[in-house]
Amino acid sequence: MATVELIGIRKAFGPSVALEDFSLSINSGELVCLLGPSGCGKTTALRILAGFERPDGGSVEVDGRDLADDPPEKRQFGMVFQDYSLFPNMTARQNIDFGLKVQKRPAAERATIIERMIEVTGLQEQVDKYPHQMSGGQKQRVALARAIATSPKVLLLDEPLSALDAKVRETLRDEIRRLQLEIGVTTVFVTHDQHEALAIADRVGVMSNGRLEQLAPPQELYENPANEFVASFIGTVNKLPAVGTDDGRWQVLGRSVPASVTSSAGEANTAAVRPEQIALDPVPGGPAHVVSVSFLGPMTRVILQDDELGRVVADIISADATGLVPGQDVRARLRDDVSEAVLIGPR
Amino acid sequence: MDELLSAGSRRWRPTGVVKWAFLICVGLFFLVPMLAMARFAFQAVPMALLTPDKFFTGWSVSGLGAALTDPDILTAAKNSLMLVVLAIILNLVLLVPLSIITEVRNPALRPYLTALTLLPWVIPPIALVVGVSATFRATVPWFLASIFSLVPFYALWAMPFTYRALDAGLQAINARTLYEAARSMGASLGTIIFKVLLPNMRASMVAAAALTAAMVLGEFVFASLLLKKTLPTEMVIYQRSDPRGGLGLALLVMILTALAIGLVVRTLRKRGLNVQTTGM
Repeated sequence: MATVELIGIRKAFGPSVALEDFSLSINSGELVCLLGPSGCGKTTALRILAGFERPDGGSVEVDGRDLADDPPEKRQFGMVFQDYSLFPNMTARQNIDFGLKVQKRPAAERATIIERMIEVTGLQEQVDKYPHQMSGGQKQRVALARAIATSPKVLLLDEPLSALDAKVRETLRDEIRRLQLEIGVTTVFVTHDQHEALAIADRVGVMSNGRLEQLAPPQELYENPANEFVASFIGTVNKLPAVGTDDGRWQVLGRSVPASVTSSAGEANTAAVRPEQIALDPVPGGPAHVVSVSFLGPMTRVILQDDELGRVVADIISADATGLVPGQDVRARLRDDVSEAVLIGPR
Repeated sequence: MDELLSAGSRRWRPTGVVKWAFLICVGLFFLVPMLAMARFAFQAVPMALLTPDKFFTGWSVSGLGAALTDPDILTAAKNSLMLVVLAIILNLVLLVPLSIITEVRNPALRPYLTALTLLPWVIPPIALVVGVSATFRATVPWFLASIFSLVPFYALWAMPFTYRALDAGLQAINARTLYEAARSMGASLGTIIFKVLLPNMRASMVAAAALTAAMVLGEFVFASLLLKKTLPTEMVIYQRSDPRGGLGLALLVMILTALAIGLVVRTLRKRGLNVQTTGM
């Protein structure tokens, strides 16, 4: 287990700046997801950490030691790639054994570790198969076993699930988390899939344009996004007007609620309101009308067109949404259990 | 949506008949001259009388038999086979490390290397021979006098094919990611090359070797300009005295080369190596 620090990293590829003043601190045994849209710099950050790219500025430290002069082969990191990158000429067992052989571990120890890896990744049936004889999910399991077999200080995962179908992705995602907790390795997981990040990370770092916008536990990220980008990127959000009241609170969707910032009367701001924080009251001649109603199992998604607010998305408990039909007039309000508004910037 | 679908269905796609028609046309383009060559070489009928109605008349392989026992032809064949082996070795020794290092360490150089390896075909053989001969004559005249002086020329001449086959092989196995995966596990460059990359490049190396072999077995200009006795130059000389036997021999060499390459490719595919991805 190791602590990882990226301090003020800058990296440019020609005129294009991939990372600008990027700092990230990861605790020992923690799983941090770097999440962001394509081209935001998350893979570059991972490759700098792995040693495959040299930063133009800043430093990378593991357990307080600067890794500037350490090439990838000296860093003792494990890495899993998006396209598996298993060695095609080796069986699953030989792939797992590769790093152990490089480390010159005794044969008996290697055999024990391989058996353990096979067991924890459930690869008993695939152990003597070559990569071309395995499915995508099986290949990625082998890649994972290979990466952790050498007991790396840090495990780096570069979009390891994006080439897999939805069901396998979900299963393997949970397996990665289980394994990570079991061996307690400090892990950096790069993904563009917010569900993946929110499901397995201790903390999620949301990135945009080479900068870290917010680093926080999933729930905090969802409930208290630091800015408009994070609010929009994580889940669905309605950006609604918040108007300051005399008592320092904010008027949002017809209710007066406090926020982290005290308002002055008449001050205009924007509140990030999640669809599940909205309730709908059928009101003939109301300010909004229902555009569509989509059943999603326990919840029903209702899209409204409001005269003042424009398009509003509301997720209603399905049992309460049975009477809603497209064209119906309604009024949207903040649910009674919402105790605080999340402000994301002035309007 | 319906409009899109109908637009899609209106797009022309070759039918099975059209595909077969193209295939047959291409097949005839190759087979007709070879058939004419075979009739001239193996039918003991005067050329003016080689009409379709005499297709089954006077077939004989005696001319080819005589050619195959000619001592000069046998010496030339041995020389050519030796040149094939040496040209393949030199080519692979030069280009395998170069293409690997370029791909995994400095991919930005790839376009330049691609252009550079085309240069042997930009320079006319006569210019190449005159230039290289002058250099060798002044420095190592014994080398120029020996049959081995053809090896560098052949390696150079086959470079465009060889490099492309190797490069395609590296791309097909995603060599850069394999390299990075192995490095992250602590492997040195030597270990990566010998344990990871080379075993996965067997198919492309065989493709490169097969292309070099086919090229060397058919090369005439360099050997002729340097006055060397190789199979192509000797076949030309033999044809002057026995045109039918010489042509029969040329046809045999062509078929045997194709069969040998086909056999190697088939064996590799049976072992699960995809030779097709390397341009073969």
